[in-house]
Amino acid sequence: MTQALVDRHDVELVALAAAGGRREFGELVRRHGSAVRALLRRMGAQPSLADDVAQDAFIQAFQRCGEFRGEGTFAAWVKRIAARLYIKRVAKEARYIAEIETENAAPVVDHAGLVDLDEALKSLSEAERLCVSLCHGAGMAHPEIASALKLPLGTVKSHVKRGLDKLRARLQPESAQSVGGAQHVS
Amino acid sequence: MSADEFDPFVERLFAQTPVMADAALFTAQLEQRLQRGSRVRFLALSLAGVLGGAVALRETMTADISMASRDGIVAGDVLGQGLQSASLNVQNSVQSSLDQFGLANLELGSMSGMQLFWIAAAALIVVASAGVMKLSQDA
Repeated sequence: MTQALVDRHDVELVALAAAGGRREFGELVRRHGSAVRALLRRMGAQPSLADDVAQDAFIQAFQRCGEFRGEGTFAAWVKRIAARLYIKRVAKEARYIAEIETENAAPVVDHAGLVDLDEALKSLSEAERLCVSLCHGAGMAHPEIASALKLPLGTVKSHVKRGLDKLRARLQPESAQSVGGAQHVS
Repeated sequence: MSADEFDPFVERLFAQTPVMADAALFTAQLEQRLQRGSRVRFLALSLAGVLGGAVALRETMTADISMASRDGIVAGDVLGQGLQSASLNVQNSVQSSLDQFGLANLELGSMSGMQLFWIAAAALIVVASAGVMKLSQDA
């Protein structure tokens, strides 16, 4: 009797999908579709564009399943494909340099008392948001991001640093103040 | 929380996937796109097979015309003559390519129309088998 798809590990499903198994790939999409879409939205994509790019990323992943070596997780692999596709899309629109106004709003905590990353990311500039999401969401290294965005490495590093500082200020205002104070002293 | 602790904290936040109400719809749309892609591939392979078959059929017709002209019967069929000259052109160009690769002794022109037909038919069978295998994997 064949093992149910839901019981199979991602690596097994990818191997079956590489042999043309669309049902197995569908299971992978069910498992990781939301994560990929969420990452793209966190990178700054509008929901419809995020879904469009996520679909393209999964289709590309299906076509390239044979290249997946299982060194990282399948989700991380598709996220990187999606991130690169999104960068290509926005590169056409030359949106990197567009800076959005940052607001100094109250710490972002939802009614359950949990920090809301999506809300906090809105306080970052477009470039900072993109760099932080690529670094901490898609797991890309700074040089990789610099190459993908065609930006100097130093610029990427400062975008990530400034972005994280802003996130810290939004997510944990007290610790951000103490870190900021310490920086002034030293 | 120090900067060293904050980085993994942010990574954990990124790893949390929000629940999306339309997740099922997204999956269904993607499956539809994959299905459509395989249908296009099926149609392309079928079309290639039909075209290949038509070419093979014309090859045999060309061979007949060639034999007929040797018997002194004037072929009034302009299409047939065109095909014959095209076939000769292809033979010449393939032959010159073979010359470049040092395979000048392989005389394509010496092959009869029937031999060429069987070679073309064998190639088509191989291509069609590969297509069927690929489609059966996709199904």
